[in-house]
Amino acid sequence: MSLSAGRGWQRMKKMGRIWAVARNTFVSAVRMKTAIVFMAMLLILLPILSLTSTGDGTAIGRVQSFVSYGLGLVSFLLSMLTIVVACYTLSSDVKHKRVYSVVTKPIRRFEFVIGKALGVILLDLLLLAVFSGVIYGLTIQMPRFAKTSDEELVRLKNEFFTARASLKRTIDEQALEKQTDDVYKELVRTGQLDESRSRESVMAELRNAAKYNMYAAGPGGTVLWEFKKVRPFDANESLFIRFKFNAAQTPADKSLYGVWYVGDYRQIQGGPETMKTPIYQIPRKDVVGTMREFEVPADAVAADGYLAVGFYNEPMNGTTVIFPIEDGFEVLYKAGGFGGNFISAVLIMFARLVFLACLGVSLSTWVGFPVAILCSLTIFFTGVINGFVVQSFDYLGQNLTIFYSVTIKPLIWLLPKFDQNYNVNKYLIDARMIRFGFLMLAAGVLLLKSLILLLIGFFIFAKRELAKVVI
Amino acid sequence: MVSEKSQFAVETFGLTKIFGDWWGRSRVVAVEDLNLKVNRNEVFGLLGPNGSGKTTVIKMLLGLLHPTKGRALVLGGVSRDPKITAKIGFLPEESYLYPYLNARETLDFYGRLFGLNSKVRASRIDALLDMVGLAGMASRPIGTFSKGMARRIGLAQALINDPELLILDEPTSGLDPIGTKQIKDLIVELAKRGKTVLLCSHLLADAEEVCDRMAIMYGGHIQRLGSVDELLKQTNKRQITTGVLTEDTLQKIRSIVEKHGSEFEVSEPMQRLESYFIEVVRQAHKEKRPTSGAVNRLEATQADATAAVSDVLDRLVSAKVETQKQTEIKKAVETIAIEPDKSVLTKLTQSGDENLTTPVSKIDKPVPDTQKSENIKKNILDELVGRQGLAEDEKNG
Repeated sequence: MSLSAGRGWQRMKKMGRIWAVARNTFVSAVRMKTAIVFMAMLLILLPILSLTSTGDGTAIGRVQSFVSYGLGLVSFLLSMLTIVVACYTLSSDVKHKRVYSVVTKPIRRFEFVIGKALGVILLDLLLLAVFSGVIYGLTIQMPRFAKTSDEELVRLKNEFFTARASLKRTIDEQALEKQTDDVYKELVRTGQLDESRSRESVMAELRNAAKYNMYAAGPGGTVLWEFKKVRPFDANESLFIRFKFNAAQTPADKSLYGVWYVGDYRQIQGGPETMKTPIYQIPRKDVVGTMREFEVPADAVAADGYLAVGFYNEPMNGTTVIFPIEDGFEVLYKAGGFGGNFISAVLIMFARLVFLACLGVSLSTWVGFPVAILCSLTIFFTGVINGFVVQSFDYLGQNLTIFYSVTIKPLIWLLPKFDQNYNVNKYLIDARMIRFGFLMLAAGVLLLKSLILLLIGFFIFAKRELAKVVI
Repeated sequence: MVSEKSQFAVETFGLTKIFGDWWGRSRVVAVEDLNLKVNRNEVFGLLGPNGSGKTTVIKMLLGLLHPTKGRALVLGGVSRDPKITAKIGFLPEESYLYPYLNARETLDFYGRLFGLNSKVRASRIDALLDMVGLAGMASRPIGTFSKGMARRIGLAQALINDPELLILDEPTSGLDPIGTKQIKDLIVELAKRGKTVLLCSHLLADAEEVCDRMAIMYGGHIQRLGSVDELLKQTNKRQITTGVLTEDTLQKIRSIVEKHGSEFEVSEPMQRLESYFIEVVRQAHKEKRPTSGAVNRLEATQADATAAVSDVLDRLVSAKVETQKQTEIKKAVETIAIEPDKSVLTKLTQSGDENLTTPVSKIDKPVPDTQKSENIKKNILDELVGRQGLAEDEKNG
């Protein structure tokens, strides 16, 4: 009993020491003029931005461009501030020898490093909370600044102030493989194949053809998409179907006629008496080659989450309709609110700042301020174009597989990813739901990387001769 | 490892530090094969010219530098151990403090590192600010402090944990004579209360006054070590100090002494340690011992040395002796200008005096009544050191 109480006391003392360093770092950073300048800049720029953002001129365009620029600005400026403060705080303590009278106190060196990182993270937490709050408030209020028609308000509600889950078609690779294999065997059996061609090249061709056929329909033909586990937020809400199609021969007015069927397709086999959910029939005329979106009531989804979407190619089009593979057909539905989605986006941004804080502190355990800030900035901007970097290294690394996979690949893995899927602005602009799993993964990976960086920092700092003059 | 109850406060075994260059090749031997033993409850002075390795020794003791060879025990353990650092107070050679924090926040920060609870922290901080004479400036940022004021805060942070071992690197640098006197009194007082003080200094007169034992370093080696009496006593000579004598009387004494076959010399008493110190360094220099520090021009006699310094000053300072007087007057004016600082000090050294502001005219008598100052210092020290110190005092008394 007394032993555990003693241990608890020790732990509290340790936390007290870390907290002392964190508080000191926070206070120093706040009293540094740079932090004030950053804050003043944002507090002036954000309201101006909310008044001047026009986007494409529509109400939704205005809000989209404000959120995009506003969050982008906050994220970028806070990243810069974090890098500056994190690189400065520990390296300046070492440079100005303040560390002499700190590490000679009963504080472990790793506790000092944690305290430093924690101080910067606290600063980030505070600033991010303030500025994301400002952005959220302004965004909510923005439709009232300018005259907005009721129609636009409905569109805002459905297409911006919401969080929509997206369903993309998935291809059953195994079934596809089996199907192409059967076709191949049939071709071999009937002797229709050119002897000189390899199996791989034939199979690849067959696979592409099968995929193409799956989402193409001749005049009077149909294309069917099936989805499972569709969970709309509310059955009274709507589903949004986004698609783009091309025509084998583009008609004169560049438009095609079609009928869309949305609902539980399985019910048709059971006969009309088994119908529990409606199947909606929507005739439409759409322009080819552009992204289109239409709305269907969400009660079309079956109780078990099954949803089918069918497209009937009107024979009068007289051409084959192709839904391109890369430009995804998707079904969007409301799965959460704007507020929750906004918080998720801010949390991912926060995880990013935590990473940058740990990066800066870790680097400055062994290099001075100029080198640390240079490295941090390089890593930050690499993170912004991570997809490109990874692709180019993957391409280069193909010939040196083992060497590549043990050396460069882990280092590249350590690099943060701020682009592509991890660009949280895109989710908010398209009102796409940031799924909880994705949030955990994105934040978790960044925190894991931060931890690795801190551990490296602990090791170096514990070994370092702090009083050694390095020229 | 050595047990907690090591008989020495500081003990080094063949401690060596060689600084390498960028490639790791040895370049500078800062400390070589140092075997230093500092007893518990003594004031030990580490003296030596610039670059003789004093600060390097201290940094190795505190784990700020790793020894190239050998090892050091502090209070019977390794200084990286928080259990050991909890009992050490350290004042670096310059006060490296956080400029954004004010005096109270600074001390509070260091107090937290020692895990002191808020009540203890608050009372110790008040007492320490009072002691170093900065109670009136507790909420001013350290960045605006003068060097001497920052030094006082540095001293206060070294004392916040009631250390068993106090390591002071140039404690009086940047301090005015009163501050210097205070620190010396404080060291003596702490030693009386059973603390160990390891002191690094160039200011020989200061060291001579407070140290029980001292070591003089040169070129990374200890040249001499011993108690102040041992080092400075000239056994083959006797000194008789008298009042001023007439030439007649002197002649009589001379004839008596010469009758007994001894030498006779009449001189006015002079600063003793300084000449000894210079002698040690001069000897080491003559023996061409290596040093990584500054190599001074060491003249054959004191008179030559004085002349040489005078020469250098003539070249360095454009003002000659006459104009120096003006500078002195200017200095006096400056002394008046920093009067508020002194009033706080007066408050510190005059117990119970309600009159906080001292009239300007009193400044020419800056040394206060010692008995009173002793009282207030003891009060503050009692508060800082706690009952243990009191009990010991009573036993001694």
